[in-house]
Amino acid sequence: MGILSILLLLPLFACLLILAIPSSYRNSYKYIALGFAFLQFLVSGYLYWQFDGSQTGINSVSGYQFVEQLPWLRLDLGSLGQLEIDYFIGIDGISMPLILLSTIVMLMAIGASWNISKSLKGYFALMMLLSTAIIGIFVALDFFLFYIFYEVMLLPLYFLIGIWGGARREYAAIKFFIYTLFGSVFMLLVMVGLYFSVINPDTGAHTFNMLHMMNPANYVDGSFFATAANSFDVFGIPARMVGFIILFIAFAIKIPIVPLHTWLPDAHVEAPTPVSIILAGILLKIGGYGIIRICYSVFPDAAVQANWWIGLIGVVSIIYGALNALAQKDLKRMIAYSSVSHMGFVTLGIASMTVEGISGAMFQMVSHGFLSAALFFMVGVIYDRVHDRYIYNFRGLATLMPKFTAYLAIAFFASLGLPGFSAFIGEAFVIIGTFNAELVGTGISRWMALAGSIGILLSAVYFLWTLQRMFFGQTRLKGGEEWAVALTDLSKREQLILFPTIALSLLLGIMPSLVFDQMNAAVVNLVALVSTHL
Amino acid sequence: MDFLTNISPISCSLLVVLLPFLAFLYQAIVGRKARSGNVSLVAISLSAILSIYLFWNQSPIESNIEWFRIGDKRFFLGILLNNTTLLMQALVSIVALPVHIYSKAYMKGDSGIHRYWMYLSLFCFAMLGLVVSSNLLQLYIFWELVGFASYLLIGFWFTKESAAQANKKAFIINRIGDLGFLIGLAIVYAQFGTFNIVELFAVNGLAENWFSQVNSLSGTWLTVAGCAFFLGAMAKSAQFPLHVWLPDAMEGPTSVSSLIHAATMVAAGVFLLATVFPLLNETVLLIIAIIGTTTALLAAFFALTQNDIKKILAFSTISQLGFMVVGIGIGAWDAALFHLTTHAFFKCLLFLAAGAVIHEMAHFKHETNLDFDPQDINFMGGLKNYMPKTALLMGIASLALAGFPLTSGFLSKDALVISTFEWAVAKGGLYYAFPIILIAVSLMTSFYIGRLILKTFFGDFAFAKNLKAAKIHEASKTMIYPMAFLALFCLFIVFSWNPISYHLSWVLKEFNLTYTFEEIHSLHILIPVILTVGSLLMWWIGYQLYIQKKQQVKQNALFRFSFNQGYLNEFYAKTIIKPTLLLANFSYWFDRTIIDGLVDLLSKITVALSNLFAWVDKYIVDGIVNAFGSIAYGTGNLLRWVQNGRLQSYLGFAFTMVLLGLIYLIVI
Amino acid sequence: MITLTHCLVVSACIFCIGLYAVLAKRNAIMVLVGIELMINAAILNFVAFGKYDESNYGGQIFALFAIVLAAAAVAVGLAIILNVYRKNKTINLDDITDLRD
Repeated sequence: MGILSILLLLPLFACLLILAIPSSYRNSYKYIALGFAFLQFLVSGYLYWQFDGSQTGINSVSGYQFVEQLPWLRLDLGSLGQLEIDYFIGIDGISMPLILLSTIVMLMAIGASWNISKSLKGYFALMMLLSTAIIGIFVALDFFLFYIFYEVMLLPLYFLIGIWGGARREYAAIKFFIYTLFGSVFMLLVMVGLYFSVINPDTGAHTFNMLHMMNPANYVDGSFFATAANSFDVFGIPARMVGFIILFIAFAIKIPIVPLHTWLPDAHVEAPTPVSIILAGILLKIGGYGIIRICYSVFPDAAVQANWWIGLIGVVSIIYGALNALAQKDLKRMIAYSSVSHMGFVTLGIASMTVEGISGAMFQMVSHGFLSAALFFMVGVIYDRVHDRYIYNFRGLATLMPKFTAYLAIAFFASLGLPGFSAFIGEAFVIIGTFNAELVGTGISRWMALAGSIGILLSAVYFLWTLQRMFFGQTRLKGGEEWAVALTDLSKREQLILFPTIALSLLLGIMPSLVFDQMNAAVVNLVALVSTHL
Repeated sequence: MDFLTNISPISCSLLVVLLPFLAFLYQAIVGRKARSGNVSLVAISLSAILSIYLFWNQSPIESNIEWFRIGDKRFFLGILLNNTTLLMQALVSIVALPVHIYSKAYMKGDSGIHRYWMYLSLFCFAMLGLVVSSNLLQLYIFWELVGFASYLLIGFWFTKESAAQANKKAFIINRIGDLGFLIGLAIVYAQFGTFNIVELFAVNGLAENWFSQVNSLSGTWLTVAGCAFFLGAMAKSAQFPLHVWLPDAMEGPTSVSSLIHAATMVAAGVFLLATVFPLLNETVLLIIAIIGTTTALLAAFFALTQNDIKKILAFSTISQLGFMVVGIGIGAWDAALFHLTTHAFFKCLLFLAAGAVIHEMAHFKHETNLDFDPQDINFMGGLKNYMPKTALLMGIASLALAGFPLTSGFLSKDALVISTFEWAVAKGGLYYAFPIILIAVSLMTSFYIGRLILKTFFGDFAFAKNLKAAKIHEASKTMIYPMAFLALFCLFIVFSWNPISYHLSWVLKEFNLTYTFEEIHSLHILIPVILTVGSLLMWWIGYQLYIQKKQQVKQNALFRFSFNQGYLNEFYAKTIIKPTLLLANFSYWFDRTIIDGLVDLLSKITVALSNLFAWVDKYIVDGIVNAFGSIAYGTGNLLRWVQNGRLQSYLGFAFTMVLLGLIYLIVI
Repeated sequence: MITLTHCLVVSACIFCIGLYAVLAKRNAIMVLVGIELMINAAILNFVAFGKYDESNYGGQIFALFAIVLAAAAVAVGLAIILNVYRKNKTINLDDITDLRD
């Protein structure tokens, strides 16, 4: 068994272990979960250490590392040929940073679950299941396998939000579930369509292998998604464009883009803090990852044509999310909308299809993973203490909670793109890449870079406003003395969770090469793959 | 000393930058226990010594290390040492040093003083890093960091609502500029593919050959790039209409105002413009000149009527920055840098002296329990009797600000005004407006600084009868010595042997810039005379107005316009802030009602549709099935009564059947 | 002259009376009586039609046979009624509905 499989199965094993241990030992669950999450983190750290950044990845197996390929399902379908589904996993420069991010955020989320008291067994078992699914998504190279993990991920999240969430948890959970499912069922269609269009050149059978899907030579002539001489269309839209759009929507819901974002504020606000952390820290990245890994790689020709619109969506998300964040009075909701805005940079960066833009988008994903996790955790800190998140109900918290304020201020400034922190690198290079895109001819206009930068300005506005409104000035709380007593400064455990995220954000801001070196070759390869269609 | 002489200039400069950073780290880690600030002080002293050691007329050198790479593009961190950066580095560390010493006395006893030292060291690090950056990206990074440090320091007393508002305002407005800068970066990168300052902006560098690039952007983008960089400079250097943050920034401690918001950070914009000068085309330069002049005029005008001693100085700073920006606009960026240098010293001194006065006034207020604003010059007066040294030092700085002969300000300001005049002569026509406005502004400068000095130090003290309860003392030695040190730099001797001619100043000599316009000798005599005589006249008027009180100042519309800072804040609140908030609220409403509403509507429609289908299923599909059942059941039920257990019914039934059978047989 | 028609009419009348008694009477005895009447009607027909079998006197023989049978049937019937009465304490047929479903 390869190291990736170990990484993948560790949490699953933990899940089973938790289920097996009787409830009378319920206090051990969190230690088991924490232990396994930490183990997983170590394994991913080892992966990162062993990872060779010069491998190109993307569309050739030889470019991937830690590859494992086992035949999984083989069915003779008679006239339809042989069904080929592989247990095919491997990583390249695009997935490596995200895997490391996932394990760190997962560790953080388990740490943030320390005070959960409702049915611990289910909670931690679901968390571990979720962890498996997430890693699975990032390592799967077989579309079918990918799809399975993608669906499996939904289930624990649904329950985690629906059972352990806030007041309107059921609404939020269902909304989240249906939104995502809406995207993924159509994804299934495209997947099947691709299956029947692509042939494994070695065996001659149809295949779900994503890497084969990226090679135009593997498409059967006259099939639905054939790359050459394709006469299929749906409502007058060429078949490959339809496939691209459907896949894009499926992943864009996850990112999320405006106007498919409305599950996000509800889900984030209603979810318990650890789940918010996972949602913001990892889940949103799956969208960006899927677009890079599948949409742009499998349908580069359609991507090139749809590019302008995707860039536009990115810009709209940035500004619209920022404006909405500005209007919020609930701290958690504000941060949720700021996520929409910051993830807009990812969309815009990917759409720019320049090396700078895509690298910036990837970097922004990693950076946002740490920062939004930290921000949601900090909202959780306040909410834990007084069960209120309404911005206007607080004032002058800096006097009461100096350490907390320091962490929050740093996280805010990091999020709004202060140099020295990771978000700056991400956003700056998305802007620069977008600006460059017109020279390369990827169809992105320069004004999008300008408009995107307005989002940076607005993020400063809402973060600083919150900072000033909640933390500065004389202490005045809605709950009066009672709150003042309840609002104690950060505990050791909380600091232990927060410090690494902030430190990582700082580290990445100062040494961006930690991420860039891992993915440069892959990004260059991706751009080369896409730009042949320009 | 061997060690020192062998050390390379680059590592020396690196040390200059890193020492304050180490002090910052020390303060951050030790936290509350490190209250003395000695570490910061030692760090900045060493920085100052090293930067003086490095100072002047090195041959330009740079050193870069690779920071990261994206694709095949490499990005560097590095240090560039040439005359501009060396001048700036020395300036920053030399001005920062007395401010640090001064702060020790000024901030004594403040409960958050450990934070103060931390922020101050962070600022010094960022500012020193900014000036020696070898590429624009790195410059941008430090550019934002100084803004961040400034944010922290303005909001140092964060429990004060006004301070919390002011630092937010400052950062956001600076952010607008930063965006300009970022866009400038994007344009430069798109065009040249590099951020290296030497490659870009050296003599005959890339920037001068805009149109000979491979995949060239059009000339419009050259203008846009220039404007973008200028936008960055406008925000940082508080140019109209983005100057509004600077007066509010006076909420920070006065020592901070003196260092950041007078001497160094605000000058970064001018420094940036001087750096990217080769990129600026004619159009952009004209815009720069116009904005600079407007700023100088308006700020000086606003300064005329302010009562807050720090606000007057803040507007004075803005106005002087306007002068420098005009210098850039006319192409005399060396003169701009020269004025930047001299201005840094005398304005810093002005603030420190004002701080000393405020310190005493606040002390006095505290002791006497009187209710008054310790920064309001109306409540001062006659202070020269109590704090003569402070008065003397501030007087020297004021003379420098007014550009009086024998001061450094005389040299640099004349350099600017005369150059502008020469430029205008070369251009002709409407361009004459620029130098004329600048001369008028110079006179206004003399007036408002005269007013400040007169109202503060001369005349009678407003609370003279309370002096029994509390005394006003001379500022302590720890405050006086740094001020005296700065006062030294307000004299001509530091910058030029010749007190009259700025051409002999070593600053300008070494830059050795060739202007695009002719030198006109007559102006070099005429303008200084006009300015000096004008200044004297202004002071005489001021003396008549404020000391002799010969005439009341009329509070007409013009006065109110000036006093309310041109109603700009109100204007922004109405035209920018409010619409933005409205837009935000609208978009939230849109999000909730339209987008989410649509989603909810969709779900409602789905539910309604499901209900419909459920009804159909229940009553139609299942109805048919049930109907068959019911028919069978009904029939069965109907026949059931036959089976009533009564023998006779059975018989009767049987008989009936037989009868029916018979009938059937018979009938058929 | 009494013709066959007369005999048949009388027989039909007796049969109908019997039928009425069987169907309408509540008393089981009366029903039994009705049955006897119907049997007698049939016997009467036998006798009446016996006229056409002058060689073997089949009609008369069957009549006698039927009378004996009827007597036996009545005996059995009465015995059943008796038992019914023992079980139900009534011989009112309306109250005896054990055959109901």
